[in-house]
Amino acid sequence: MSVGFQGALLAQTKTVTGTVTGGDDGLGIPRVNVTVKGTTRGEATNLDGTFSIQVAATETLVFSFVGYIAQEILVGTQTTIDVVLQPDYNELDEIVVVGYGSQEKKEITSAVASIKPEDFNNGNISNPTQLLQGKVAGLSITRPGGDPNGGFNIRLRGISTFGGNQSPLIVLDGVPGADLGNVDPNDIASIDVLKDGSAAAIYGARGSSGVILITTTKGNSGEGISNISVNTFASIEQKTLNKISSLSGDEFVARGGLDLGSRTDWVDVVTQDAFSYATNVSLSGSMGGTSYRASVNYRNNEGIVKGFKNERLNTRLNVTHNAINDRLRLSANVNLTNGSYGAKNNGLFDFALTYNPTAPIFDDGTLSQNSLGGYFQTLASSDYFNPEALRREQNFSGTNKTILASFRGEFDVTDDLTVAIQYNQDRFNGLNANSFSKSDFAYGGPRGGVAGRTTDDRFTEIITGTLNYNTQITDDLTANFLIGAERQTITAEGFGLQTRQFLFDSFGANNLGAGALVTGPDTNYYSYKNQNILNSAFFRANLSFQGTYFLSASVRSESYSGFGDNEKTGYFPAVSAGAELTEIADLGPISQLKFRVSYGITGALPGSADLALPIFRNGGRIDLDGDANTTDDQFIAPRQSQNANPTLKWETKKEFNVGFDFAVFDGKITGSTDYYTRNIEDLIFNVPVPIGAPNPFDAGNFNTVGSTFVNLADMRSAGFEFSASINGLKLGPVSWTPSFNFTIYDKTTIEKLSVGDGLGFEELRGGNLGAPGQNNTQIILNTVGETLGNFVGAKFIGIDENGQYVLEDANGVRGASASDFALDDLAVIGNALPDADFGINNAFQYNNWDFSFFLRGSVGHDLYNSFRSFYENQDASTGAWNSVVTDKTPVVTASPTFSDLYIEDATFIRLDNLQLGYRVPSNSEWIENINVYFAAQNLFTITNYTGLDPEVRYTDGGNPLVPGMERRNTFIPTRSFTLGVKLNIK
Amino acid sequence: MIRYTKTTILAVALLFVAAACEEPVQEIFDGVTPEELAQSTDPALIDVLKASAYNRIIGTWGGHNSLWSMHEVASDEMVVTHKGADWEDGGQWIRMHRHEYNAQEEAINNGWGYCYTAIGDMNLLIQQNPNVTALVAELKILRSLVYLWLIDAYGNVPIVLSTDTDATPPTRTRADVFTFIESSILDNISELPTENTKTTLNQWSARAILAKLYLNAEVYTGSARWADAEAQIDLIINSGVFSLENNFFSNFVTNNENSSENILTLPYDENNANGFNIAQMTGHYSTQATFDLQDSPWNGYASLEEFYNAYETNDARRNSFLAGPQFALDGSPLTDDNAEATDPDGPGLNFTPEINELAPNSFRQAGVRVGKFEYRVGATPNLSNDFPIFRYGDILLMKAEVMHRQGNTAGALNYVNQIRSRSGIAALTTLTDDILLAERGREMFAEGYRRSDLIRFGKYNDAWWAKDASNPSVNIFPIPQGQLDANPDLVQNPGYN
Repeated sequence: MSVGFQGALLAQTKTVTGTVTGGDDGLGIPRVNVTVKGTTRGEATNLDGTFSIQVAATETLVFSFVGYIAQEILVGTQTTIDVVLQPDYNELDEIVVVGYGSQEKKEITSAVASIKPEDFNNGNISNPTQLLQGKVAGLSITRPGGDPNGGFNIRLRGISTFGGNQSPLIVLDGVPGADLGNVDPNDIASIDVLKDGSAAAIYGARGSSGVILITTTKGNSGEGISNISVNTFASIEQKTLNKISSLSGDEFVARGGLDLGSRTDWVDVVTQDAFSYATNVSLSGSMGGTSYRASVNYRNNEGIVKGFKNERLNTRLNVTHNAINDRLRLSANVNLTNGSYGAKNNGLFDFALTYNPTAPIFDDGTLSQNSLGGYFQTLASSDYFNPEALRREQNFSGTNKTILASFRGEFDVTDDLTVAIQYNQDRFNGLNANSFSKSDFAYGGPRGGVAGRTTDDRFTEIITGTLNYNTQITDDLTANFLIGAERQTITAEGFGLQTRQFLFDSFGANNLGAGALVTGPDTNYYSYKNQNILNSAFFRANLSFQGTYFLSASVRSESYSGFGDNEKTGYFPAVSAGAELTEIADLGPISQLKFRVSYGITGALPGSADLALPIFRNGGRIDLDGDANTTDDQFIAPRQSQNANPTLKWETKKEFNVGFDFAVFDGKITGSTDYYTRNIEDLIFNVPVPIGAPNPFDAGNFNTVGSTFVNLADMRSAGFEFSASINGLKLGPVSWTPSFNFTIYDKTTIEKLSVGDGLGFEELRGGNLGAPGQNNTQIILNTVGETLGNFVGAKFIGIDENGQYVLEDANGVRGASASDFALDDLAVIGNALPDADFGINNAFQYNNWDFSFFLRGSVGHDLYNSFRSFYENQDASTGAWNSVVTDKTPVVTASPTFSDLYIEDATFIRLDNLQLGYRVPSNSEWIENINVYFAAQNLFTITNYTGLDPEVRYTDGGNPLVPGMERRNTFIPTRSFTLGVKLNIK
Repeated sequence: MIRYTKTTILAVALLFVAAACEEPVQEIFDGVTPEELAQSTDPALIDVLKASAYNRIIGTWGGHNSLWSMHEVASDEMVVTHKGADWEDGGQWIRMHRHEYNAQEEAINNGWGYCYTAIGDMNLLIQQNPNVTALVAELKILRSLVYLWLIDAYGNVPIVLSTDTDATPPTRTRADVFTFIESSILDNISELPTENTKTTLNQWSARAILAKLYLNAEVYTGSARWADAEAQIDLIINSGVFSLENNFFSNFVTNNENSSENILTLPYDENNANGFNIAQMTGHYSTQATFDLQDSPWNGYASLEEFYNAYETNDARRNSFLAGPQFALDGSPLTDDNAEATDPDGPGLNFTPEINELAPNSFRQAGVRVGKFEYRVGATPNLSNDFPIFRYGDILLMKAEVMHRQGNTAGALNYVNQIRSRSGIAALTTLTDDILLAERGREMFAEGYRRSDLIRFGKYNDAWWAKDASNPSVNIFPIPQGQLDANPDLVQNPGYN
């Protein structure tokens, strides 16, 4: 703020100068407001905190800046006034973004967690959720393995639904349903997590899995360019196989394996140290009444397996313009993201650990019975391939483009009444290519080379209108009312083509016309189009009495085109209340203690919008006369692809939450704690129905598919969350800010697995182990009344003198293999869900140095270790596969069979993030500051688990009813080291 | 002024809200509704839907882990051994061999699903076209064929008609199902053509269904119907439409659509009608090199030593097996690099009739493999050989059986010897139950009838190879547990829990 010299002077003024520094780091604070009390005169401090102002001796200077406790100093005889402003840890006046608006933190009665950029994780962060990993109690963000294209599993307070939307709803600058890939971490100003049902209920049907609100940085109001910043980093990533490895060639031969003459470390062959880098340049400022921020972000991530990569260019422009005395506020956010990825067949992780270590990579046919492409391949087993050949000869890649445009206008009709309208458009287009060359023994080779392309277009349009009214009902009672309506339309179209039988491999998927076969096995052509519409209306009232008692109530009605005629509309109410106890009584050292209680109902959408309808799609090709030479009698038969269920309706989650937000010792210690219980009803689930019988949901139709989507299940879970941080601790000259959070889960229990008239079951099994030899073996059992995700199996007693297993069932009966026992005789041998999650952060600062490290862990969950389960045994008779070796390997020659030996406790603590930074002192006019940092991710993990990655697995291939399975195609985990520079230029 | 503005804005807002509450309709762009199907006037549509219903039957009959697997592995003509790290599969195939199968078996659930999915499709089609008489008749008889499979495998099953509305159809007794099948065919057979249509039903294949039904009547209902069976069989024989092929294997080659002996076949096709995977199921991994197969086989199914040795050395049908040393396409001998060190046969690939044990370490090379169907060079996992459901050779043996059971053994011998002479072996002079059963075994290997034959001749519960004597309650498979859970009106078969 730069206010000119105004007003009449009543007394003789003098020039007073000084410096304003921060009590936390001793550095000058720029842009501090230095105003003369009682007047409109004032100045702002310069970059280094210095100021100069004309003021009379009788006047008082007020020094104020966001985040610091303001000070007032009477000028008196001083001509130099140096001020040290203390940080204000009391965040009560902070504004927190909630659904469709914002609220002062002190008035919030729901469980909302707010994360600011200074708390974000640093390092090779490619996905915004990585910024939050472990920082919010109850929010679990995991990505087992190190796949650069890999999605993160985000769970808020555990499992909320079985269907497609298990992750929280992402709201980006007010646009619900945005994709995290479209916002670059450098552009984020704050992230707010709506944790409980009452906060998320304003998002109604999409709020059951929680809501994460992301706000991007907007321009500043200072005239001209106020800030240019450049962030860049480079990162190197290495594999870390945790505690698992396989035998070397010599060890393999010594144990009796087939010696083919070479010594190959297949894991080394397929992996590399991966190099990644990113650069961000952003520019913010204002011209006239318009402020803007523009940024360009470029990321390039390589994977530790050659051929996996991810590249993204993201540009963003946020423009805001105020007019009519700031009564009209217009803003436009336009964001373009262009990305590309490369990937390989994940099966190669399996073969990298188990392919014969004495086999050569290449062979001209002397050693192997099949040397397609010049590689060594063996016929001795099915589904057993040279991993390097697999890596080179199968390729998957693609590009995607997204344009996000959002326009908003707010107008203050009166001082109390604001009308706003927002229009958003999200256009996504993805183009994918896959190719299997003629040298690919696993698939493409015998088929003459196969290649295909698919493209998907998705267009989302959302229009929202709100009316916001503030009023003072009485002196003590203020109220805020919000009424709004929203309409969302999503249209998706796409098509795909796969051909085979090529003369040249060099085309990849670039010339599908060169493939001679377009119909028949291993070819495909299709196109699709679908659309769904969501209409909603919502209302919210916030009341505040004497700044001490707060009440909030909201309701949202939602109509979805994808439900049956009588079930389209759902209502999602919420109510919450709170009281600031320190306003009622003096609680001594406790400077803030807000008690809050809330209850809210949210819903969840099904995975597809067609589940209610009896649609016929494409069945097989029919040639009516059986003669392939006549083509006018060939048709594609329509076939009903699902059993219709017009009674399909919303899933609902009813959540009760009670908690405290507290600050002790004037904000030296701040934190919050919550206890929640949730009852989730009418979960949509694909339930087996009597095949061929009449469809009870669709009169006159028959079940032509063995299962139907119905509202079947009820679940219940609860938990206790706690988070706290200690601010401004001093260890001599070093300041230390520790913070931690933890969540204790009362694990999800299945209350019901039935619907109305007898359709349903007592239990659901899942988690089939697979080939070789362990098909038809399901190890997860979900029973009504019990916790979700129980493992069942025989107990491992020991190995007998013949090297055979000794296993025991729940009744003490013994056997040598899993198939010796009946399913009902097996005991529960573990559970896949964690008892607790925790995160511990430590930030240190000394002069220009800062150092932080962050530990994260999960306690009490078990994992199925598939590598050990299939490949631990000495394959004594044939030496066909290599074996994996861990510190738990028993000496057994029997063929692999399942028992609790392979269910391991995966409790772990991981040093997720470590950072050392230095702020380079700069006297330059145009460099505001330079920060150099070194960061490391996943430095070490302490665990007893011997598989690849002890992270919790919430789903198996997207199925949340089968948690806890570490499959053999898990991407190898990685550790990375990053060196980066952040530069702010003025 | 401000007050009016506020009111106006509030009113507009409420209108906006009201508009947003309209219930949106789901538009479908890439599918058709049943109404659209019913209203279509394209004459080809009905033919296509009927062909699609037949395609359901083709389904998984010739594939792994469904009906065919159940019939074969529970009989004495095939086995899937547990070979160390491969093929344990929860013990399903061990239990299948030992007649210890339970309601949780995957194959048993798949078999049920395969049948009832087809029935559902047919009922939907009948219900949508009630006035197209010929179509309805054909579909009802096709449905009866599926019920023949159900009555044979599961015994007591629910009957679902196109007019039914009960979402939980109850179990019906085997006798009721028998009557239903019989009447469905008799009521509708006159609508079927008399031409030899091979891959779709005609009057002769419909009579073949009846013949099989009556042949097993004593097993299904307790009262034998040998004469009724003979009447149907005679109609087929006397029609002159079918005759024995001189070369036994012409019925089973890749291009067997012109066989004069096949009565009703499932027209598998590697492009459009997938599901016949026998080469993958039975071949050793290295058998890929013998026929230049597209994918490596799975090394699963083999025949039993005793069954193989029941073929005389000059019986042409002995070539129904892949036996002895195996060779690549160029004639070079194949080796199995990962053969067990304890296999006395060594690494050279040799399908020996002796199998060392059922489980847990059966040798990878042990057991003769199924070679009755031609595996064309370069075949994909989905073969194109048409699979015979009814074959004239079977009809002749059935004729022999009903004559023998009614006392006319001399007449029966006539027919048995026609079969034997076709395969180049000497005629028999005496005939007993055991001899007839053995001849049926040799002729009908791998065609899915051995289990029913064993049951009918009272031998199914005998002990053989690694199997002890079994209780007659296992003569029908259990109702799959998943189906019992989905339909509380189903009753489990006696002897299973």
